[in-house]
Amino acid sequence: MRLSYKWLSEYVDLSGITPEVLAEKMTTAGLEVEGIEPAASGTNLVIGEVVSCEDIPDTHLHATVVRTGDGEENLHKIVCGAPNVRTGLKVITALPGAKLPGGTIQARPVRGYDSNGMICALFELGVDRKFLSEAQIAGVEELPEDAPIGETDVFGYLGLDDTILDVSLTPNRADCSAMWNMAKEVGAILNRKVTWPDYAGKSDQGEKGTFKIASTTEKCPLYFGKVVNHVKVGPSPKWMVNYLHAAGMNSINNVVDISNFVMLETGQPLHYYDLAKLPHHEITVVDDVETKITALDGVEFDIQKGDILITTGGEPTGVAGIMGGEESMIDESTQGILIEAAHFDQASIRRTSIRLNLITEAAQRFTKGVEPLSCRKGVDRSIQLLEQYADASGFEATEIAGEEVYEPVTVTETLSHCNALLGTSFTMDQVKDVLTRLNFAPEVEGETITCHIPSYRTDMERDADVDEEIIRLIGFDNLASTLPVMETTVGTLTRPQSLRRTIRTVLTGMNLHEIVSYTLVGEPEIQGAFEPAGEAVALSMPMSEARKYVRTSLIGSVLDVVRYNEAHSNTDAGYFEISKVYSRETEQERLAVVLDGSLMKDVLHKTSIPGDFYAMKGILIALLKKLGYTASRVQVKPNKTDIEHFHPYRSAELWIDKNKLGVFGDLHPDLSAAYDLKNVVYAELTLDPLFAGRTSRVKFEALDRYPSVSRDIAIVVPASTTAQQILDSIRKAGRKLVRSSEVFDVYEGEHVEKGMKSVALRIIYQASDHTLKEEEVAEAHNAILESLRTHLNAQLRA
Amino acid sequence: MSEQMDQVLAEALEAIQSAETPEALGDVRIRFLGKKGSIQALMSAMKDLPKEEKPAFGQQVNALKAEVSEKLEARRKELEAGALQEKMKQDALDITLPGEKLETGTIHPLILIQQELEDLFLGMGYTVAEGPEVEQDYYNFELANIPKDHPARDMQDTFYIDPNTLLRTHTTAMQMRELEKANGQLPIKLICPGKVYRRDDDDATHSHQFMQCEGLVVGEHITLADLKGTLEYMANTMFGAGRSVRFRPSYFPFTEPSVEVDVSCPFCNGKGCSVCKGSGWIEILGAGMVHPHVLEMNGFDPEKCSGFAFGVGLERVAMLKYGIDDIRNFYTNDLRFLKMFDRFD
Repeated sequence: MRLSYKWLSEYVDLSGITPEVLAEKMTTAGLEVEGIEPAASGTNLVIGEVVSCEDIPDTHLHATVVRTGDGEENLHKIVCGAPNVRTGLKVITALPGAKLPGGTIQARPVRGYDSNGMICALFELGVDRKFLSEAQIAGVEELPEDAPIGETDVFGYLGLDDTILDVSLTPNRADCSAMWNMAKEVGAILNRKVTWPDYAGKSDQGEKGTFKIASTTEKCPLYFGKVVNHVKVGPSPKWMVNYLHAAGMNSINNVVDISNFVMLETGQPLHYYDLAKLPHHEITVVDDVETKITALDGVEFDIQKGDILITTGGEPTGVAGIMGGEESMIDESTQGILIEAAHFDQASIRRTSIRLNLITEAAQRFTKGVEPLSCRKGVDRSIQLLEQYADASGFEATEIAGEEVYEPVTVTETLSHCNALLGTSFTMDQVKDVLTRLNFAPEVEGETITCHIPSYRTDMERDADVDEEIIRLIGFDNLASTLPVMETTVGTLTRPQSLRRTIRTVLTGMNLHEIVSYTLVGEPEIQGAFEPAGEAVALSMPMSEARKYVRTSLIGSVLDVVRYNEAHSNTDAGYFEISKVYSRETEQERLAVVLDGSLMKDVLHKTSIPGDFYAMKGILIALLKKLGYTASRVQVKPNKTDIEHFHPYRSAELWIDKNKLGVFGDLHPDLSAAYDLKNVVYAELTLDPLFAGRTSRVKFEALDRYPSVSRDIAIVVPASTTAQQILDSIRKAGRKLVRSSEVFDVYEGEHVEKGMKSVALRIIYQASDHTLKEEEVAEAHNAILESLRTHLNAQLRA
Repeated sequence: MSEQMDQVLAEALEAIQSAETPEALGDVRIRFLGKKGSIQALMSAMKDLPKEEKPAFGQQVNALKAEVSEKLEARRKELEAGALQEKMKQDALDITLPGEKLETGTIHPLILIQQELEDLFLGMGYTVAEGPEVEQDYYNFELANIPKDHPARDMQDTFYIDPNTLLRTHTTAMQMRELEKANGQLPIKLICPGKVYRRDDDDATHSHQFMQCEGLVVGEHITLADLKGTLEYMANTMFGAGRSVRFRPSYFPFTEPSVEVDVSCPFCNGKGCSVCKGSGWIEILGAGMVHPHVLEMNGFDPEKCSGFAFGVGLERVAMLKYGIDDIRNFYTNDLRFLKMFDRFD
C-alpha cells in the first residue's frame, strides 16, 4: 500500500522521525517498506507571475518575463512552449540550477531569446499524470490568483510536501490498509501516542424514515443504510485530494471522495447511491439471481447465482462489495444520498471479483476481511465529513439489516510458555510493555497474561499470535542461536535415495551429464510418450499449449534438450535425467539416458568410444551391476514392444529377473528426423523395480591356484546366429572346465560366404582343484567344436 | 717381474678406461684376462721362477687379476647406465601434449545443492522425506492452514488439475503428509526437497517450475532460538564459515511466529556489495514455528510439543552461490552450462 507520511502524522506523533527512520523501524517490525518516494520533487522553485508574454514568430514558443519578487533581479526571462501561458498567470518557476525529476534546468538561449528557467507543469515535478486533468498535462500549472509571489516553499503551498512509503502488507495484516489502524501499529512500534478523530456517534442523528433495507442471504449478515437527503456536490478540499492522490486514488467530487477517504481511513468499503435514482426507497441484498449488470465504467457483467447482488425494486443496482451500478451513481446533479456500509462474505467476494476480473479497492478489502465494528465507524465518519465538506443535512435514522454482533476477543498466554516457545527469557515487564503499546490492555495475574484484543486485530486468535507480537516488537536481535535438545535420531537415506546417488555417480563417471527438464509438456509429447505411465494428467487452466499436461514419459523433454544442444553446436555428449512421471492412476520414477555422438573421442591419441547401441548397453549393464544386479540377473531381449520410438533391429528390451525395465537402442529414423537428430541412442527405464528388488550379495570366492589354458577358435555361422547362442552352446558343451568365453571378433564380407559370418572366440579352461592335463582340455575343446557344428551349423575356420 | 706386472696393470687400466662400448670392453677383457691374455702370460712365466718365489708371485698375479676384473665390471656398469640413459632420452615425451580425453560428467547444479543440504541435515539426524508432485489440495493447502478462499492462496498461483488435485505449490505438502503419518509420535526431524510449481511466466527471475527444500522439527522443547541456530549452521555450511543469520517478521499461514531469514552476505562479508544491494544481507528463506493449529489438525497437542519449519528455494541458493543471473539456465540444460559444475565446491 501507498502510505502518506504526512497523512499518518495527522494521527500519530512523528516528530523527530524521518520517513527513512520510520521505514526502517516498520520493516524491522514486519511491515516491509519496499520504497520511499517524495510526493513531488524539485529544487530552486519559486512562485511567480507572468508579467509579459510574447509569441516568438513561426514557433509555438512564447518569450515571457516572470516576476518572482520586487526589483530587477527578480524578473526572469523565460521561453515557454505551453499553450496556456499568458500575462497575469501565477506559475511555478524553476530557476537555473533547479534539479527536477527530468534533469537540471540551465540558463541558455532558445531561438536567440534568453531563457533563464522553466515554467512548470505538475507532472514535471513528479506528480503522476493519472491524477492530472488533460489541461494540466497539456500546459503549465495555473496557480490561483492569490498565490503568494516569491514563495519558495512551493510544495508546502501545494500540499505536496509529503513522502510516500510503499508498504508491503502480509495477508494477516490487512487491518493496516486502514490508515487509522496503521497509525495504531506505527504508534506501537515507535511507542508514540495515537489520536483518532472524534467521530463516534456522529450518525446517531435523524428520525426514522421510509427507506427499507433487507438482506435475504447469509453472505450479507450486516448492512447499514443511511439516508442523507441534502448534500452539495462540489470540489474536495485540497488536502483531501492530496491524500487521495498519495494513496493512489483519483479525486472525483467531494461526496465520492469522502466515501473513498473514509474507506482508506477505516478500512470499511462504502458505497454512496444517488437517492433520487432509488425511487423504490428500498434495497435488498440477494445471491440467487442470474442477470447482467452495467457497472460504473459502462462495462456489462454477467451475474451468476451465488454472486452477492444489491437490488432495488427487484432490479440489480450493484455487485455487492465490488462495484456500483451505473444508473445510481453520484454526479453533479445529486441532491441526496444513501450511504451503504455492509459486511459481505469474504470468500464470495473473492470468487466473484476474480471471475469478473474486477479487483477493485473495495473488493480487495472485503477479500482480505474487514473488522466487526467497521460499518458503524464508516457511517459515523462519513456523516462527520459530509457535514463539514458537503453541507450535508436532512439525515434519517440509520437502517440496519442484520445484527451488529461483536464478541470482544481475549487471548491468554503465560510468560513461561511464551519464553519456552521463543527460547527467550523476557521479563513480565518487557512483555507487558509491548502488549500495552499494542492496545491489548494486558491483565497480569501471576504468570498469566490476558489480552483484550482491539476489534481491528482480527489476526489475534491464540497464544502463538501474541508471542509473535512480543518477539517482533521487542526485536529478533534478542534471540539466541541454539540447536534443538532432543532425543537422538538417525539420519539415513532410504534405498531409492541412495540408489539415485549411485546412478549419478556411475553415469557421471561415464561422462554423462545430468539434466533437469520441465514436467509440464504439450499434446505432442503426450502423444509421443514412451510407454506412458497411463492417461495423462491435464491442467484445468494451462498457461500455454506447450505446458498443458504432466509428462507421462521423459523422451520428449530429453530429446528437446539434445535438439537444443545440437542447435548450439554442443555435440558429442551424453545426458541423463532422473524424474517422476505421472498419470491419472499412478506415478513412476524413470531414468532416461541419451547418447548424442561420441561418448569419448580423442583425435590426437586416436582413441574413441562411439556413443552407439553397444556403448549404451555397456553403460546400462555396468550401472545395473553397481546397483546390485549381477549380469546373470540381467537380460537383454529383442525389442518386441516399442518400434515407434526405436529402430526395430537396433534396439532391445532390458529386464532384471522377471521385470522389464524399459527399452534402449537407436532412435527410429522417423523420430530422429522429427527432432532433426542423427545417430542418437536412447534408453528409458522404470526405476521402481530396481528400488524394490533384492540386490545380489557380494560373496568371496577362493582365488584360482592352478593355471588356466586358453584356446582361440574361429567359426563361420549363419549371419542370423547370435553371440549368445554360440556362448550358450560353448558353456553347455564345455561343462565345468570352461571358466569363461568371449567373442573377440565378428566379421562379415569378403572371404566369408554371403549370409554367413565369421566369429572369433577365446575360451579359457581352468579347474579349481588341479592343473589341467593336455588331454582334458582337448576333450572338452573337441566336445565344444562338435556341439557348435551340430547345433549351430558352425564350420571351423583354419 | 714386478715391473712387468705394474706395466700390465697400467696398460689394462688404460684400455678399460678407453673402452667406449660394451664390445670394446669385451675385447679388453680377452686381451688381459683371456687364455692368451697378458695376465695368463705372466702366470705362464711363473714356472721359470725359483720355488720359493712362486707363492708370492702367484698371489701378486691373482691380486692383479682381481683388480682388473673389478675395474672391468665397474666400467661395464658405467657403460650400461650410459646406454640406458641414452635410450631413455630418445624415448622422451612432450609432456605438454594433452592427456587422453577421459572426462567425467556433471551432476545438475540444483541436485548438487539438494545433495549438499541432504548431507548437512543427515549429519544432524534428519531423514529425507518424499511425496507426490501431483498433490491433493488437502495436503498442499487445507492441512497447511490455508483453507479454501483464504487470501494466502493468492500468494501462490496454483496449477489446478481438478478442484481437489493440483501440482504442489510448495514442499510444505510433504511436511503435512509426514505430520499426518507420524500420528502424534515424536520426535519428527526431516527435510523434504523436491520440485514445485506455480503459475508464473518464465523470465530471468521466475520459473513455473522450481525446487524447494523444507525442514521440519517437532519435539517437546523446540524453540525459535533453535530455528535460528539450525539455520546459522546451514548458512555456514552452504556459504562458508562466518555467516550470521537475521530474522525479520513475516507471515506464512502454517507458521506462527513467521520470519524471513537473511544471511550476512558471503560476497562482501556484510559490508555491502552489488549482490546484497549494499545492505550486507541476503534474503534466503522463510521459516517459523509450526502453527499450533497445524499441529492440532495433524493430531499433536501444541501444549505438549512445538516445532519449527523452514523452506529454501534451491534455485535461489544456486544462483547466489554460483552467481547465476537467469533462472532459465537450470531448465535449458545447455551443455556449456552443465559443464561448469564439474567439481565439488
